[in-house]
Amino acid sequence: MAHENIKGCIILQDLHYSVKDNTWIRAEGDIVTIGMTDIAQSLAGPILHAKTKSVGTVRKKGRPIATVESGKWVGPVKSPVTGEIIEVNEGLASDAQLINRSPYRDGWVVKMKANNLDAEMNELTTADEAVEAYRQKIEADGIECSHIDDTDTYD
Amino acid sequence: MMALDLSQNKHTDVSFEEKERLFDEVKSDSRWDFVLNGCYECGICVAACPSARFYDFSPRVIAQAVAREDADLVYTLMSDSIWDCSQCFSCDRCPRQNSPGQIITIMREVAVKNGLQTAKKALEGYGRIIYKIMSTGSQVSPDMLQPDAFPDWGTHVYEIAENLEVWRKALPPETLHTTETGWKIDKKTIIELYLIWHMTGVMDLIEGVDEGLFMILVDVMEERLEEAGYDDITFD
Repeated sequence: MAHENIKGCIILQDLHYSVKDNTWIRAEGDIVTIGMTDIAQSLAGPILHAKTKSVGTVRKKGRPIATVESGKWVGPVKSPVTGEIIEVNEGLASDAQLINRSPYRDGWVVKMKANNLDAEMNELTTADEAVEAYRQKIEADGIECSHIDDTDTYD
Repeated sequence: MMALDLSQNKHTDVSFEEKERLFDEVKSDSRWDFVLNGCYECGICVAACPSARFYDFSPRVIAQAVAREDADLVYTLMSDSIWDCSQCFSCDRCPRQNSPGQIITIMREVAVKNGLQTAKKALEGYGRIIYKIMSTGSQVSPDMLQPDAFPDWGTHVYEIAENLEVWRKALPPETLHTTETGWKIDKKTIIELYLIWHMTGVMDLIEGVDEGLFMILVDVMEERLEEAGYDDITFD
C-alpha cells in the first residue's frame, strides 16, 4: 500500500485526512470509516479506553465521536464529517490498544453515513498534499512516532 | 522605543496595556488585600520553598514584582514562573505576613480565566485527571498508574499496571473493586456536581483552556443530566 514514513509516522496515500484533528476517513459511497492517525496514537501513548458514541448518534463535523484515554492524556476523536454513526468498532471496548497497533486497519473507530460528503471531502487532504501537510506539522511540532509491540507494518 | 522583551521567547509577548489589564485583574481579587504587605528581602520564603530548591523559581521575586507594580515582570512571571510553585504555602511563614503562594493562586486563576497560552500548556498534563474527577465525581483513577504516566514509580509500576484488575479485587471493600474510578459515586451526588460546575462557570473556564476536554465533558454531562430530567441544561 502506498505510504510515506516521516520520522517513524506512517501516512497512507489513499486516505483522506483532517490534519488539524489527526483523523482519517476511508469513503465507500456515502459510508465512511473513521479512525485516528499513526501520529495521534503516538502522541496519546498506549491507549487504555476508547469509548465510542452509540450507533444512531448524529454528529456534526468537528463534534466528538469517541473519547480516548491513555495513561497521561484524554481527548475526543472529532468527526471529520457530518452524519450518523451506523457501526462502532466493538473490539475497542476490550482492547483499546488496537488503535495503537493498527491505527489504519483493525483500530478504526466508527463508521458513519455521511450527509454532506462531497462538500466536506474538499476540506480534507489526501495523497501528496496530505503527506506534505503532515511533514510540515511533524517538523514544526517536533513529533517522532513510537509504536508498541505487534504494530502493523507497511511494505 | 522598543519595549524590553522579558519573555526570552518562552511565551507570546502582548502590549503593555494588556499586561496592565491582567495585573489590574489580579489586584481586584478580593483576597488581594490580605496577601501582600511589603517585602524586606529577608529570604525566609525562599529558604522554606521546596520548588526553589529544584527550579529556577523564587517566591521572593513574585512578592517583589507585584509590590513594585512591575506589570512587565508580572506578566513574564504569569507566563512561566508561577507554574513552578507547588502551592504548599511554606512561604506563609513570612514575618511580614505576605503570602507569595496565595499571590500565585490569584495570578494562576487570572491566567486561566484569560486563557493564556502558558496556562493551557501548564494544565495540559492534568487533562485526564480533570476528566476523571469531573466526569465520574470520583478521585483519580487507579488505572492512571501506567509506566508512561508514572515513570517515577520505577519498574514496580509495570507489575502494578499489568495486574491492576487483580490487585483491586484483592481489596476488601467491594466499592473499590474498580480500575476506572477510585470508588462508586451516588447518582444524586454526581448530578449535583454537574449542576454546580455548570452554574459557577467552571465549564466556561475549561472551555477557554482545553476545548477538547470541554467537549468530552459536555458529552458525558448532558447525557446524564438529561436522564435525570434536566433536559433544559446546555453548556454551549
